[in-house]
Amino acid sequence: MTEAVVDVRELRKTFRVTEREEGLAATLRSFVKRHRKDVNAVAGITFRIDPGEVVGFLGPNGAGKTTTLKILSGLLHPSGGEARVLEYVPWRRENAYLRRMTLLMGNRSQLVWDIPAADSFRVLQEIYRVPEEQFRSTVAELTDLLELAELMHKPVRNLSLGERMKVEFAAGLIHSPAVAFLDEPTIGLDVSMQARIRRFVAEYNRRTGATVLLTSHYMDDVVALCKRVIVIHHGRLLYDGPLADLAERMAPYKIITATLHDGAAASENLDGYGTVVSREERRVMLRVDRQVAPERTARLVNDLGGRLADISVEDPPIEEVIDRVFTSEQTTVRA
Amino acid sequence: MIRTYRALLVAQLQAVSQYRVQSVLWMLLEIIRPVIFLAAWVAVANSQGGQIGAYDVRDFAGYYISLTLVLQLVFSWNAYDFEYEVRLGRLSPKLVRPLHPIHYAVVENFVWKVTTFIPLVICLAVVILTFDARFRTTPAHLLLFVPSVLLGAAISFLSGWVLATTAFWTTRVHAVSTLWDRGLFIFAGMIAPLALLPGPLQAIALVLPFGYMLGVPAEILRGGIDVPTALLLMVGQAIWVVFFYIAFHRVWRAGVRQYSAVGA
Repeated sequence: MTEAVVDVRELRKTFRVTEREEGLAATLRSFVKRHRKDVNAVAGITFRIDPGEVVGFLGPNGAGKTTTLKILSGLLHPSGGEARVLEYVPWRRENAYLRRMTLLMGNRSQLVWDIPAADSFRVLQEIYRVPEEQFRSTVAELTDLLELAELMHKPVRNLSLGERMKVEFAAGLIHSPAVAFLDEPTIGLDVSMQARIRRFVAEYNRRTGATVLLTSHYMDDVVALCKRVIVIHHGRLLYDGPLADLAERMAPYKIITATLHDGAAASENLDGYGTVVSREERRVMLRVDRQVAPERTARLVNDLGGRLADISVEDPPIEEVIDRVFTSEQTTVRA
Repeated sequence: MIRTYRALLVAQLQAVSQYRVQSVLWMLLEIIRPVIFLAAWVAVANSQGGQIGAYDVRDFAGYYISLTLVLQLVFSWNAYDFEYEVRLGRLSPKLVRPLHPIHYAVVENFVWKVTTFIPLVICLAVVILTFDARFRTTPAHLLLFVPSVLLGAAISFLSGWVLATTAFWTTRVHAVSTLWDRGLFIFAGMIAPLALLPGPLQAIALVLPFGYMLGVPAEILRGGIDVPTALLLMVGQAIWVVFFYIAFHRVWRAGVRQYSAVGA
């Protein structure tokens, strides 16, 4: 078995939060007595990630994704359990560990706003003790991959959000980390910039063999980058396995889309083939149990005959699968 | 570490150079308060025949000019910045780097002092001429002033970090740091030279850290105390440096465990 880069066992994090009801009376009471409640942000999750893997870490808001990333990057101390990243205990925050990992948060800036990125990179070079030759080649490579040449000498505050994100990426990778924790790296970016960042992460992983754990609410990020996903909800692990198997295991149905020549799809009675989920003038979508999908498709082709212009059988959209996972809260599934 | 400091220094100088006017305005703001006290004490001294205790009008001028210079060299504003960084989540990127966040603050403080030093000295020269300030400084005082002001800066910086670190628990430290500033105001020698404080207040001032930050180096620079007394007070400064150094390490270690990385 390969030595895991990230090895997490029964990791837990409980936050004690203050609660109070709305209104003046409750506000006044809160001056004297506060109600505190324990919130289990991470409630005992276990997983391991091998070298070079790009893993998507999925869950709705408040699922515990970012808390887990913060623990693994050493920002937070857990309430229980164990974790090792590159053999280090993250929350001891040993410099040797911090030099080999990066935490990139899409909504947070780590650059000095008032100076050009090139100067911030020099500071980071010294903080991470990157030898001059390696620094030059890394900056050249990042400049090439992220198309930074035009941006390097402008004060960071003058860059657009997308430009700043590219520069943030470069800053986070200047020390060529072996592990990258990416928390919503494409948040707020336009579609083209999202695609560029995705291409960059994939290329970076291919070139350096870095291990990447990525959270994102954009399923396109996950589909483009991650063969494997870990799904958590309410701090518990719901699924850990190939992205390709997620739909099969969590959504036991397929979507059949039939397009007709004569525009009668809106009125055609197709209830006998499956559950109609949408109808347009020429197109109808049916939800069909996974096991019977081939047979229903064949029947449709046969029954509609020449009226059928096109037919496709697909897994439901990944967003729908994930939504189903979160709403049904199925028990842990390991692929 | 020297290379890291050099890089941080260059970056901070560049950042500060963008806001030159603001730096000078802050510096002017800092010297207004001691100059107001100087004017008030001069007025009081004149109304009482030109002398209060061991201070005449020219001594007051010498004291408050020394105090202003010391204030500039010693004062640090970590608590305010740190709270801001914790509350907005800006501390997190620093915490995941292999460099303690205190080093950024050391450089920021140093650059602020360096870049405002010359305009400050020019302003103080004007005040010296205006009030005909008297200094009783000897070469021995000047020699002692350097370590004394460094010790004062260390007390100010480390105590500021101890206060700032409470933000790990409370997220907001403004009330605590304001209370601390009030202590500084009364017991550091700002409202009056320590020697002119009423008996009980003077006794309290001697056991609190505030006077060791400002009043002691200011009196040494003015030559207002003899060398043996200066040396004794510098031992007091050293004790407070050690105290706050140990306190900072302990509070920081506990605080980092407590850190909830809000807003980040």
